Amino acid sequence: MAGLTLEHLYKRYDNSGKKKKTVNDYAVKDLNLVCEQGEFIAFLGPSGCGKTTTLRMIAGLEEITQGNIYIGDRLVNNLHPKDRHIGLAFEDYAMYPPLNVYGNVAFNLRAKGVDKNEIDRRVREIAPLMQIDDLLDKMPVKLSGGQKQRVNIARAIIREPELLLMDEPLSHLDGKARQAMRVEIKRLINKIRCTTIYVTHDQLEAMSLADKIAIINFGVLQQFGTPTEVYDDPVNEFVASFIGEPPMNILETTIAKINDKFFFTFKDSNLQIAVPKRYYSVVQDGFRCKMGVRPMDVLVGGPDSDGTPEEIATFENLGDERRIGIHVGDVLLMLITEDEKRYKRGDIIKLEVREEKTHLFDIETGDRIREKQEA
Amino acid sequence: MARITLENIRKAFGKVQALDGISLDIKDNEFFVLFGPAGAGKTTILNCIAGITMPEEGTISFNGEIMNLIDPAHRNVAMVFENYALFPQMTVYDNMASALRSKLYREDEAVIKERIDKAARMMKMEKLLERLPSQLSNGQKQRVAMGRALVRTPNVFLMDEPLAHLDAKLRNSMRTELKEMQANLGSTCIYVTHDFMEAMALGDRIAIINKGKIVQIGSGDEIYYMPCNEFTAELMGDPQINIIPAEIYKSGSGYGAEMIVNGSKVRHELPEDKGVFAKIQERGLVKVDLGIRPQHIKYAFAPADGYFKTTVYSYESIGNKSVITAECGAYQLRMIAPNGLNVDIDSDIYIKLELDRSILFDPDSKKYLTRYDEEAIKSFAVKEVQ
Repeated sequence: MAGLTLEHLYKRYDNSGKKKKTVNDYAVKDLNLVCEQGEFIAFLGPSGCGKTTTLRMIAGLEEITQGNIYIGDRLVNNLHPKDRHIGLAFEDYAMYPPLNVYGNVAFNLRAKGVDKNEIDRRVREIAPLMQIDDLLDKMPVKLSGGQKQRVNIARAIIREPELLLMDEPLSHLDGKARQAMRVEIKRLINKIRCTTIYVTHDQLEAMSLADKIAIINFGVLQQFGTPTEVYDDPVNEFVASFIGEPPMNILETTIAKINDKFFFTFKDSNLQIAVPKRYYSVVQDGFRCKMGVRPMDVLVGGPDSDGTPEEIATFENLGDERRIGIHVGDVLLMLITEDEKRYKRGDIIKLEVREEKTHLFDIETGDRIREKQEA
Repeated sequence: MARITLENIRKAFGKVQALDGISLDIKDNEFFVLFGPAGAGKTTILNCIAGITMPEEGTISFNGEIMNLIDPAHRNVAMVFENYALFPQMTVYDNMASALRSKLYREDEAVIKERIDKAARMMKMEKLLERLPSQLSNGQKQRVAMGRALVRTPNVFLMDEPLAHLDAKLRNSMRTELKEMQANLGSTCIYVTHDFMEAMALGDRIAIINKGKIVQIGSGDEIYYMPCNEFTAELMGDPQINIIPAEIYKSGSGYGAEMIVNGSKVRHELPEDKGVFAKIQERGLVKVDLGIRPQHIKYAFAPADGYFKTTVYSYESIGNKSVITAECGAYQLRMIAPNGLNVDIDSDIYIKLELDRSILFDPDSKKYLTRYDEEAIKSFAVKEVQ
């Protein structure tokens, strides 16, 4: 096992073979990341953000345009994939159809010429871990998607890799199987404590599995932190709206000063939300920015509430919870209620916002506006 | 606008009985959801209504008029497909106008423009009308596909998983938008989905379909709170409901439930509920399956009164909350917890079931027996259908 270090990593796909001689933008731009030994890191981002490209560069399947990759202390830039001591598990299972599960799991070790008894010992050791002990004699066609993915992961970890790389291993599975498999992966990694890079576009998978999440957009690392950090303390609007379901409400706002107090005000809406005191040093009357607040931090006030009366535009009863949408200008502000009350469109509720939970973002760049730290 | 009635529809594809006696009565202006797992026959029902598929048996009628032999074009239905099916060479405007310009309708261009403008406003895509489909994102494409249906005044809108191709975030916001539009649709709508949140949020009524048969029809609340069997209970809710095998014993004037947790017996008094106790007595119930939703399990990390001990199987943070899974031997229990707890896998955890929220199922047939507060729940969940 070893840690992983990415230093100023760049990737630009070469377009020279094509007729149009346009210069591609970087698929990965100046990526720096240190992953400690035994950590589970998720690369999270929308499709096309460069997360898989990065993974493939780490695996050695893609050339590096610029920068360095270290596995442990070893610079692996020019190392052949087979010499990097990595285990790979892809989205599609790519199994050898004529071999049974045992044969598939043992394939790599056999190719390396590992002793037969040793192979058998390792297969028998890993099979119960991945719950495939009953499947060893089966052929791949007989397996369900979830079972195939188990075999696929078993095959990756049997090599006792220094680094385990997984590329959307759950995206082929349906909802229920995915949920079950997520739990299994979590337990497995907890047991073998192998340094793992896990690529996904599903924020829920990243949040539930990873020790740390690297959020990438347009090839640029946006934020690298624990799930709690990226959820509670996002660095910009992109991270804030990418993490969490339903996503954070983000509204354009103009700050107004009323009786020496600052309020968020919104175009075409009577809603006013007090600005937390800690932001007083960075805002002034007429300041324009974006305000973000998570749907769980918007509440329906009781009868004595002094919240703003607002009309319900949408009410969705989802069984486990209920979601209310309120028009603030042309944006729908979402909130979640867990009370059993059934509202309907047109009902008036008193809207309360947990002011201390609001975030401010720059209206142009989307960067977080933070309170000034005291010197 | 139409009332859609299906009577005993049967359809087989080779050896597979895709529809096995489907009868539905969908009211005028109702938003009706067909919900079930992949391969249940939901799309086949839709295709039968549209006239794309011919049923082997049974009748389909619109407002009492039998449609079986009417070809799809003359049924005046508007269909929205999962994969948009837009004409790639036409602008958004022309795509939306295509049906109205067809030989069948030949609407006036002025009328077409008026209708498209209205639909575009509703779908918030006024600025996209001159674009080609290739210049649109997936969410926008689906909007165009819906807009193309909305410009017409069909007997019924048929929507086949219109949001399934979209990513989770977009799907949620489109669902909310669709909900907002619902009141303005002005026509009957039949909506196919395999996403329980869509079904719950949108449907006036939901029909649960499995293996070509209707399992249950009811309002979202009715299906969520009074699922007719364990299959339906497990479909609604995420994480899914816990099903715990238990044995009923007599305890004083009431009853208790005995469960096996990691090999040892755990006994709980059943909270008093007239309906539940009457059912136990009347049916002489000994074995039941208790259905308890993840939000109705309490936990502690130190021994407490009424809590039983087990171990943590996994702890997953899912954004605004977390899911703890506890190992109980033959089954696992999922429960909702707040974020940021420091829970180690395989550590001890103490659990209390809120039995007064439980649903009782027959362990053999897996069918619904009764539940706590059945009367109170019926009063708001079960809506009369005229």
